[in-house]
Amino acid sequence: MRTFFALSSLLALSLTACGGAGDEGPIKLGYIGPLTGDAASYGIDTLNGTKMKVDEINAAGGINGRQIQLIAEDGKCAGADAATAVQKLVNIDKVIAIVGGQCSGETLAAAPVAEAAKVILLSPLSSSPDVTNAGAYVYRDYPSDALKTKAMAAYFQEKGLTKVAVITENTDFAQGFRASLKKDFGDFAFDEVVEPGTKDFRSLMTRLKNVDFDVFLANGQSPATIAPMVVQLREQGMKQLAITHDAGQSADTLSIGGKSVEGLEAINVPALGKDTAFGSKFIAQYGEPQGAAAFGAHAYDAVGVLAEAIGAVGANGEAIKGYLDQLEEYPGVVGTFHFDENGDVVGMSYALIVVQNGAWVQTRPIAIPE
Amino acid sequence: MLPVAQSRGSALRGVLLLSPVQLLANALIAGSLAALIAGGLALVYGVLGVFNMALGQLTLIGGYTAWWLHQVAHMSVLFSVIGGLLCGALMTWITFEVFVRPFYKHHRFLPLVTTIAWSMILDGFILLAFEERPRSILSEAKSMISLGSVLISREQCLMIVLTIVALLLFAWIFHCTSFGRKLRAVVQHESAARSLGINSAILHRVIFIVSGMFAAAGGIFIGIDQNLSPTLAFSLTIKAYAAIIAGGKGNIWGAIVCAYVIALLEQLLVGIHWFGAFYVPAGYQQTVALLFIIVILLLKPSGLFRSFARTA
Repeated sequence: MRTFFALSSLLALSLTACGGAGDEGPIKLGYIGPLTGDAASYGIDTLNGTKMKVDEINAAGGINGRQIQLIAEDGKCAGADAATAVQKLVNIDKVIAIVGGQCSGETLAAAPVAEAAKVILLSPLSSSPDVTNAGAYVYRDYPSDALKTKAMAAYFQEKGLTKVAVITENTDFAQGFRASLKKDFGDFAFDEVVEPGTKDFRSLMTRLKNVDFDVFLANGQSPATIAPMVVQLREQGMKQLAITHDAGQSADTLSIGGKSVEGLEAINVPALGKDTAFGSKFIAQYGEPQGAAAFGAHAYDAVGVLAEAIGAVGANGEAIKGYLDQLEEYPGVVGTFHFDENGDVVGMSYALIVVQNGAWVQTRPIAIPE
Repeated sequence: MLPVAQSRGSALRGVLLLSPVQLLANALIAGSLAALIAGGLALVYGVLGVFNMALGQLTLIGGYTAWWLHQVAHMSVLFSVIGGLLCGALMTWITFEVFVRPFYKHHRFLPLVTTIAWSMILDGFILLAFEERPRSILSEAKSMISLGSVLISREQCLMIVLTIVALLLFAWIFHCTSFGRKLRAVVQHESAARSLGINSAILHRVIFIVSGMFAAAGGIFIGIDQNLSPTLAFSLTIKAYAAIIAGGKGNIWGAIVCAYVIALLEQLLVGIHWFGAFYVPAGYQQTVALLFIIVILLLKPSGLFRSFARTA
């Protein structure tokens, strides 16, 4: 055991010797995301987006003549794995900055290690409101869920929808969304929580029929619950507007719900599909995205803004942090943005996406109220 | 805290009259599904005394096969349903030959362990073959018909009727025909039944496969009415066991009735405006089945319906 320990520390030492923090050699950039497991679709899309920008920068001659070397680690959408991954990237690979984590649990677990080592952790996908206060070196270019409920509440007000009926699946994400919307909007006309995985909402729909409401929010964790909610709402003849969020805006909702989900609305980040310049290039290079091309786009911009910072102030964590804090605007493919004092993205907008003729169609942007 | 139904003028009377009928229809939909799975299970448990913990997975396999045949291979609905039933029967047969038959003679609890192992293998297989995504067998909008104040789809009506016919037919065979008498003879005293020329080994196999076909029918029901997802299996198994335990061991009628009763209680618990004052939060709906068993067993330890079979 002792020999093993001695050998491994020797190995660590020898690896440290050729770190990327100096002014010579390639600039090392880390990546943490779920490359295996249930959430792998997030990881694959964001890793592809990250690679795409790194390859473009390297092909154009790198950052001030230095190539970027990408080192990807599997966070498995779990805190424990992300903590191991960030230790390896920070202590052994000596990366300058990390694109990640993707799942909020990964980012929150990796944050203290990155913070202590003064390594920038820029998440392209974490949306939990907790990430806001995760640390001074933690940034994200994906809007917090807290903003999405603000945008949804503003949308309801704008359309004069005052009586909201909500069915929530009892998971962290959906319960968080419910609490946050309640704070931003006020009390609901109908507010029920069901156990995870429920597919039979008929008794609730029977009750809902006798409730006076303007809009129905299908607040589930996945299309497996969101689609039957909307289908059973329509089965009982209720014609009110139905709305959902990113968990429901999926092709699966269409394949399960069929004609019943026609007209269902969703508030989500803009889609960046085939019809956009980024979307078509992304699909041409990596094939159809596992989750959404927009995930890749947020990762692409994360690398872009980091590269701009490194190019301006050099490969130093503290200097990059100073640059990101002072940044006025970065013109990314997901929008022109900068960061607030907590490292949260500012300037991003949501989009209203509606099911029209059996397909999700982006109809208009939804502004985030200040 | 709890939302209260808002009475709009004279709507209050409508609330009181309208809801219970719709709740009854809802209970028929949910109960038919539960009864399909519980009916077959009651038979296996009653005759073989064996717990088949892979039943929920066999249900999903029936549903997923029908989905695959209809949505991927573009077969007609009828053919897909038959294909789903046959595949369910085939998998149940494999379950019986490999995971139950070699063990259940040694001790009736051994298959409990082997079928749990098999259920885990099937869980992995379902994930591999059909992915983590929810699947729906029919994606067209269902045409709703209104019977008085009740809104129900044609598909749901058809499934309720087919389920009740199939279950009644089967319970009738078991309790009122000579084939059923043979089955019950095997339950009561197997060696005595064998000495009278009843081939008990074949009967066991037939019973097991029939229970699998009922389960597969349940899976197809879910796939048509709601959607299939790989995590569904365990809760289906639990509900079926609740019905057969409350119904009394080996009593198929009892299991079927209890499946409907549990479904009705679930609907009433959440759907009714209790004492005109409050609603029970929907999160408690799932506990009804288990509370029902506890109450029934406290009041009648042998189950709600006394077993018709005399103990030998």
